[in-house]
Amino acid sequence: MAGWFDPRRTNIERWAYTFQRVTGLAVLAYVVAHIGDTSFFVGGPFGEGPSRASWAAGLSVTESLLGHLVLVMVVLVVVYHGINGVRLILSEYGVIFDKPSRPDYPYRAKSLRAVQRHLIWVAIVGAILAALYSGGLLLG
Amino acid sequence: MAGEEVVLKIRRFDPSLDERPRVEAFAVPLKEGMTVLDALIYVKSRLDHGLAVRFSCRMASCGSCGMKIDGRARLACETQISSLPRGAVAVEPMDNFPIVRDLVVDLERFFARHAAAMPGLVRERDPEEQESPTGEYLMAPGELESFVQFTYCIKCGLCSSSCPTASTDALFPGPQALSQAYRFLADPRDEGEERRLERVDAEHGVWRCHFAGTCSAVCPKGVDPALGIQLLKRHVMSARSPFGRKKRRGAPVFPNPNGDLLGQP
Repeated sequence: MAGWFDPRRTNIERWAYTFQRVTGLAVLAYVVAHIGDTSFFVGGPFGEGPSRASWAAGLSVTESLLGHLVLVMVVLVVVYHGINGVRLILSEYGVIFDKPSRPDYPYRAKSLRAVQRHLIWVAIVGAILAALYSGGLLLG
Repeated sequence: MAGEEVVLKIRRFDPSLDERPRVEAFAVPLKEGMTVLDALIYVKSRLDHGLAVRFSCRMASCGSCGMKIDGRARLACETQISSLPRGAVAVEPMDNFPIVRDLVVDLERFFARHAAAMPGLVRERDPEEQESPTGEYLMAPGELESFVQFTYCIKCGLCSSSCPTASTDALFPGPQALSQAYRFLADPRDEGEERRLERVDAEHGVWRCHFAGTCSAVCPKGVDPALGIQLLKRHVMSARSPFGRKKRRGAPVFPNPNGDLLGQP
């Protein structure tokens, strides 16, 4: 496991890899919490029975400054994870790389250049913009 | 430069004697153009004969002196000390390999995985041709370009030592073996596609790679294993799809007009 979280002195793709893992776990945690939260609509996770009161109680969990900050973080990690996921799918189809060719010194790996590297920045900037927008809506 | 010293902080470990690794510092007189391997040889010859370090060609061709220098996998023979940040140089054995002693790691499993990737042409149509060749396999220059960069691998192990998947999945073949599998799948002379696909399209196979790209960042020969692995994924998907590429027949043999390959009529 330590290998996942030790991206020192290396390429940005390794950072993207680490963030993809961490945000994947965060999204999974959010989905589980979200299912628990919305289950209040049909009576709560412990079967209290459907009622407006139980739904309001569930909704109140996120109706606070801390809850809103958590939701902004959720937007941040979901947008990053989604865009970076598309980058990984495209890379697996081999459509964002130059063709292989005879390497010449000084060697620069083709897979670490061009479109796929730009897409990492698209994921980072896209996630920040989405977080700022959602922060403006929730906190503004 | 004259009179200057560089301090090597070398991680030492003998599994048969030590309970845990320790770091020992050695001061080495600095010379212009000095590599980390030069400094290690100085330590071994003048300061501590017991230091275990593996090397051979000293010109980045044999791949023997792979190790972790200042936190990054590199060949010691092509890493000049002047190219590193100033201060002490941390020298450690490669990650993801069992340590034999000090900076020497056990590459046996690494080579076994290379062998498991079937690094040789497979011919079903004319297997006897490989034992007793009568000519050459026809191949266009463009076809050679599609895989030639993956033939430059010197099997130093830097890619596998840097791979985060290899550090967490002991059954993962690693970037070296997977890129070599692609090298032969892309070779128009090869007819072993089905056997190769069975090996890489497996539970601990090519799909465990999530493109951290560190293998390509540290490769000292420009092989770019990460590119090979992504192209391997594309090849697997295409071969498994009903709309994908058709199974290829290996390139035909072009008879040598001058007799057999030894020039005998």
